[in-house]
Amino acid sequence: MPVALNMRLTGDKEQEVTLTGTLRPFVAEEMASVRRSLEQAAWSARGALCVNLKRLKYMNNVAFLELNRFVRWAASARPDLRVKFILSSVIPWAIRKFQVIAELYPNVTIEVYDKAFYPIQHVIEDDEFINVLRTQEKIIWEHEQEKLAWHGMRPGLRVADICCGLGDFAILLQRDFRPEYLVGVDHSKPFLRYARQVVSDFGLENIEYQYGDAAALLLPDSSFDFVTCRLSLQVFNEPQHILRELLRICKPGGRIYITNELMAGIVAHPGENLIRWTYDKVIEIGHSLGMDMDTGLKTREILTDAGLEDIKIHLIDINNMNSDPNDFGKVVESWTYVTGQMCMRSSQPPEVFERIKEGLMAHVEAINSDRGFASWPIYAGSGRKPFRA
Amino acid sequence: MSIVKTITPAPPMEADFASSRYRMIMAARFTVGGFAREWAHCHLLANYLARYVSANEGDPERHATLLSTFINELLEVIYRNHAADGQIELIFRKRGRHVILQIALPVTEQNRVFYRMAVQIVNQPDLKSWYRARLEEPAEGEDTMLGLLELAAVYACTLTISEPPGQDRISLFLELPEVDEMGEV
Repeated sequence: MPVALNMRLTGDKEQEVTLTGTLRPFVAEEMASVRRSLEQAAWSARGALCVNLKRLKYMNNVAFLELNRFVRWAASARPDLRVKFILSSVIPWAIRKFQVIAELYPNVTIEVYDKAFYPIQHVIEDDEFINVLRTQEKIIWEHEQEKLAWHGMRPGLRVADICCGLGDFAILLQRDFRPEYLVGVDHSKPFLRYARQVVSDFGLENIEYQYGDAAALLLPDSSFDFVTCRLSLQVFNEPQHILRELLRICKPGGRIYITNELMAGIVAHPGENLIRWTYDKVIEIGHSLGMDMDTGLKTREILTDAGLEDIKIHLIDINNMNSDPNDFGKVVESWTYVTGQMCMRSSQPPEVFERIKEGLMAHVEAINSDRGFASWPIYAGSGRKPFRA
Repeated sequence: MSIVKTITPAPPMEADFASSRYRMIMAARFTVGGFAREWAHCHLLANYLARYVSANEGDPERHATLLSTFINELLEVIYRNHAADGQIELIFRKRGRHVILQIALPVTEQNRVFYRMAVQIVNQPDLKSWYRARLEEPAEGEDTMLGLLELAAVYACTLTISEPPGQDRISLFLELPEVDEMGEV
């Protein structure tokens, strides 16, 4: 029965037991150690006991019934204790199964932890936003593509693109680098449907898309030669969880490739003062929502702290002289929508958003001006996973 | 709580499968002896078959994870209830967004009674209440049956049985719920 059981304290008043992998025993007796651990945790827990199942991929009914027996036991042995099952929407069978238990026992609740995990996901998966994202992908790719080989990308690799969004990057990789196999993972079903449709319309092979949680991937350990995560770490409030997963799924000797913005480095003229104020404000609001829009500057630190070797970093410098100003302007214009949502979520006064809008429009004007200059720096970095443990 | 006597639904007819509404996906055949040698075969087979059946879905991994859950539950029941010799045949077909799994297996008389009972139970009216009551007051020896009951009560699978006359074999038909291409029930 391949199952990993971890127990750890998560706070003064909560204790958490984590079950991962597969739980398909032949008889309930094979669950004895799991049951003992749960009971031991229940005796010592105060307030609530969290049973974390967010990375339990398979569970049979024998195991489920044993958890049901545990809940019944807890209701009678520790009537003051709440049992909270922590589930992930990524595991397709889990929510329905545990809803029954939550309805049956007043001491049981379920929490789908990844529902609130991505603060602005509902913004970026808006249908109207898709065209802008595609334009953004196009102008970034024009500059990113030429450096990918330097970062280690070459034909025949197994590639995982984590937080793949609309999947355009995966498709461009397939076209230009011919990986042996490529999987794109994202937590947005509308994006994945779109990506899948593109793959199907163009009859592309060797690309798969997967609904998944970047912080708790279901991909196997050490299974990819090249793992990418682009413009995403900056919007997560706990990017270290994602990095740990990138490292886990990367083969020893394989490379992890990340890109992130440096919003503090956005410059444009004319209108530089208002434009600078705008991005400083967005950075500040982002921080209040758990996002770091200056992650690009920390690329070396991130890759070094992850234990990677042979770190390489380059600047993807998008400006109105090396990119189509019309496309670049459209991308910046679309940030009005994103920043509006960010202002709303962080309860900014309306005048703040108005000023941000003015700043973004000034940026667009600078981009489209014949005499203006506007730059948008993105840092791309990669590192090799060591062979040693 | 007693089982309410109901009319057990009829299994699909062979002629139905020949119609264009059904699309054959794959078939597999193996000996009971080989299958029953190791409990892990249920898990491994369920995962392998689910992955194969899900190959053309929008999110094959998620689709396969869900299908594996259903297939494994049925294989585990078969692992515990089959005759000593003979062959197990699995056929996967698809009708619209539904996958239909047909399993033919050799049975003893005792097994036959078990499967008839199982089909009758999963076709209970007010199945959800029945299932919840069983979770609240589990009875000894019911665990195996509850796995099948859950497939129907929680995931809306349907289970029917076909018993060709004069044979020590039965066929079970597990119709899985409508699953979209992203693996959502």
